[in-house]
Amino acid sequence: MKDMLGAPAGAEGKGRFYERLINVDRRVIFIFVALAVALPLLFPLNIPVGSSREANAYFGEMERLASGDEIIFSFDYEPDTMAELDPMSLATLRHAFRKDLKVVALTNYAGGPGIAERILGQTAAEYDKAYGEDYVFLGYNPDYSATMLRMGESIKATFPTDHYHTPTDQIPLLTDIDRYADIELLVTVTASALAEYWVIWAGGNYGQRIITGNTAIQAVLIYPYFQTGQLAGFLGGLKGAAEYEKLISIDGAGVRGMDAQSIAHLLIVLFVILGNIGFLIQKRAAAGGEAMEGR
Amino acid sequence: MNWDTAGTILAALCTLAIFSLLYKDNPFYRVAEHLLVGVSAGYYVVHYFYSSVIRKFYVPVFQQGDLWLLPGGILGLLILFRLTKRQQWVSRYAIAFYVAAWSGYLIPSVIQERILVQVRGTLLPSPTEVSLAAMIGAVVLLVGVVSILVYFYFSAPHRGALGVISQVGITFLMIGFGASFGYTVMGRVSLLIGRFQFLFQDLPSSLGF
Repeated sequence: MKDMLGAPAGAEGKGRFYERLINVDRRVIFIFVALAVALPLLFPLNIPVGSSREANAYFGEMERLASGDEIIFSFDYEPDTMAELDPMSLATLRHAFRKDLKVVALTNYAGGPGIAERILGQTAAEYDKAYGEDYVFLGYNPDYSATMLRMGESIKATFPTDHYHTPTDQIPLLTDIDRYADIELLVTVTASALAEYWVIWAGGNYGQRIITGNTAIQAVLIYPYFQTGQLAGFLGGLKGAAEYEKLISIDGAGVRGMDAQSIAHLLIVLFVILGNIGFLIQKRAAAGGEAMEGR
Repeated sequence: MNWDTAGTILAALCTLAIFSLLYKDNPFYRVAEHLLVGVSAGYYVVHYFYSSVIRKFYVPVFQQGDLWLLPGGILGLLILFRLTKRQQWVSRYAIAFYVAAWSGYLIPSVIQERILVQVRGTLLPSPTEVSLAAMIGAVVLLVGVVSILVYFYFSAPHRGALGVISQVGITFLMIGFGASFGYTVMGRVSLLIGRFQFLFQDLPSSLGF
């Protein structure tokens, strides 16, 4: 029997203590991680969630908008990152609808329309918002760079119809909205480098104010744009979503997942420390063995 | 049982089938994997064809008479010559146009937003925060950027002062990689949390428990 990386199962774990420590069967680690994630979800610990400077800035940008202001909300992700990004989208749209903001939604991913329809439908129903008057979904447009650029000249020309084939010049919400200059804030929730492209095309060329929600992996690349002020705020990963949910006082999947996230991180830190201890002991033992041979 | 419930059950079974790879390769995993690849390929082919060829080319040109799009459409068709062996060269005209046009668009904007603004941001403290901590952060940022740039300077041997500065650069790089790895772990654990939330919360509620 071989495991998924081809190593014979059971080959690990034999030998001295430190050898067992650095050769733990990966399936044992999988079981521990599964338990560390599952148990806090089933039995919540309610570990406190703080708020970072980035999340505060994101919240502040949404909060400064007045009732009736328009925002663009871009669902720039697909089902593979829904776990991290859906909580951000839900929280942002709940915040927007609670403040009576007008939402112009779109997606730059072919796999995005299904997600956008579900989340827009759910949040609009919660706040009793009407399609075409309080929010609109423009759908997917191929080539994100061209889409972002052209929206600076004319949103209606970029999207002649919305996702449901209604001509955009017949949608009441878009009567006075046709370019970035008519939009107070652009929000992109994305799993890729699209936040950087929004910064280049909409921020750099048209001075559009932008905030973004990103996967944890992308967050590292987003910090420089926040530091320079090119992005006015951002949320990084599930933790960012949880922080924002706390700020708007609506607990969602982000807050519910933070117990599991914290326990799983502690476990992984523990495994890293144990692995390093084993490695150092092995290194010292090997050095001692060589010294003995040299005598 | 309605279609939504059936879909939720199918999704749960697929999730468990994919998780089964963590033990070892098996037929359930293979079925789920092939299902994902097949459904994804079908979805994207239809979606891209409809949103690009039909909505952006066929409808405007042939139903609305917008002939300005015709040259672009013809250039797009030329790319299909890559599929032939003898006329492959024809596709180069379309690619040359695309590369030239996008270079013209991209180069000035990217230099401005990704290099010039970032250089200014490295030299100046954050405009959003004025405090002692921000000032210290700005100094650390400047030292980090300069030392890493020195580390990647290969025209002189890394000895003496240059060696010390490049060592500082390596330290900054290692801290950066560590932070990046930490975020990666967080992202992967979040995906697992999402699946478990689906299995423990969404699935039972859709089944009426």
